[in-house]
Amino acid sequence: MTDFLWIAGILFLIFPGAILWRMPAIGRLDLPARLSIALAGGIAIVTAILYLYNFVHMPWTRFTVGVPLIACVILSRRGGEGSRDQESFASLSMTTMLILIFAALTIYGVATARETCGDLIYFWGPKGQRFHQAGSIDAGFLGFRDYFLMHSDYPPLVPLLYAWASLVAHRFSWWGALFLMPILLLATAFAFRGLARNGWYAALLTAILGYGFAIGMVGGAADPVLLLFEVIALAALTFDFEILAVIALAAVALTKVEGAVFVAMCAFAYLVTVWRRAPSPAAERPRAAAPTLRAILIPLPAAIFLGSWIVFAWRNQLIDSYGLARGSIHLDLFASVVGETLRQASYKIAYVPWLATLVPLALRRNFRRAWLPLIVAAGTLLSALFYYLHAVSPSWWIEASAQRVLLTPLACLVVASAAATE
Amino acid sequence: MRRSEKAIVAIATLILLTAYITRLFTRGGPYFERPLTIVDHVGPQRHETRDALVLLPKVRPLLPRGARVTCFQPGNRDTMPDFFAAVGQLPQQTVVSPNGQLPEYVIAVRQPFTNTSYRVMAEFPEGRLYKAIP
Repeated sequence: MTDFLWIAGILFLIFPGAILWRMPAIGRLDLPARLSIALAGGIAIVTAILYLYNFVHMPWTRFTVGVPLIACVILSRRGGEGSRDQESFASLSMTTMLILIFAALTIYGVATARETCGDLIYFWGPKGQRFHQAGSIDAGFLGFRDYFLMHSDYPPLVPLLYAWASLVAHRFSWWGALFLMPILLLATAFAFRGLARNGWYAALLTAILGYGFAIGMVGGAADPVLLLFEVIALAALTFDFEILAVIALAAVALTKVEGAVFVAMCAFAYLVTVWRRAPSPAAERPRAAAPTLRAILIPLPAAIFLGSWIVFAWRNQLIDSYGLARGSIHLDLFASVVGETLRQASYKIAYVPWLATLVPLALRRNFRRAWLPLIVAAGTLLSALFYYLHAVSPSWWIEASAQRVLLTPLACLVVASAAATE
Repeated sequence: MRRSEKAIVAIATLILLTAYITRLFTRGGPYFERPLTIVDHVGPQRHETRDALVLLPKVRPLLPRGARVTCFQPGNRDTMPDFFAAVGQLPQQTVVSPNGQLPEYVIAVRQPFTNTSYRVMAEFPEGRLYKAIP
């Protein structure tokens, strides 16, 4: 019953998140896309509430958190009139079926404990659980001298999400955290399909992420949440849903350390490409602000949230991963780092995920709208190598994380491939 | 989308589907039984925290709220997996590292804990709970 309530607490977030349907461009998307974006929006809203309450010392209760959520539900009631332009995808049923097959396999994988991430046991779960018990971001717990594996300065979105679901269910659910993964996989696929209006690449994205989640063992970790927001943010920027991108980027910055690089790359790519792009028919509204100003405004909420988190971590002496940038770079290991990363990038399947995205891009050569996700893909790939070059024992880090970390540039390439079909 | 592009995407998706099913299969059976812990099939070998994850819920009701406790496998130099598993599984207690001063309660996974300052409180197939002798 607890597991069921825990998941229900997450799914409930669709209702407050439906406030995003008030944006006309989102309100016109198909229902699965709107539901997926509403779930992502709900996750962003509830974690923002818990995050802000932490700083104003407001207790986390069902009432105090529930009231603003209900307010969002009430405000969202007029939004989302459904897809008016029922564009028929010739392959809709087949691609939907493929998406559902991968989701079903992921459900099987988590239900039989085949995709559990060790990090769920070691720190994501304990953090969510402890935050729920403390009713705040428990700096004492994060900084406790014995908990060296707790990654004290990792951004708090996922533990906050777990704390919210635990608030609903009255305790943390380990199985609930696992079953979140297929839900987020489906949400990522349908949100992308709606924003990019491309069923085939949505199916490919689901296949890559489904397989990547399994081989990278990410059940219960932050990666499915990160990829949901990254895909939404990048697709939103690429296909002219800029306000949605602002929200998703803020969530990305608060989900994982590498989210900061993703946000910076998105802002840079947007600035570089915005001049040469004409707005798509799905554009939210006529663009009012100048491109440079928009390039500053789009990552601004992300920068504010991330900045506040780093200040919080610094004040409570929790800086750990963010301090790694001060370490020395081991350029002598460059060849071995690149070699090992390339080995992991094959995903033990002869680089099929990369080929499936790069070959269509090479054939089509229509890069106009695809430049933005391509730049982000290149930037996130290089940043992963840059990070590994700072590690004391890069081989271990690459083996432990490359298959997860490389899902971000892969997802960017799928967005680019879809953009190139326009 | 062009037919050639659809074909590439479809073939890649089917390859990924086959690889995914293979990956799930090679993580070992049984394939249709409810697992006891969340790590039962993460690989063909037994996961390093598996015994702790079975033992800790059994030990949890025997521990007072707020008690200081540690968890490890005696004789194993890598104390990290069982210790951190206990941090998550015992949210009402303070779990401390086994590498410092030992607390009032010790959970020994698999192997017996031979410190004479402790007595056995409870015994399970996966390990034992010890309490310091006052």
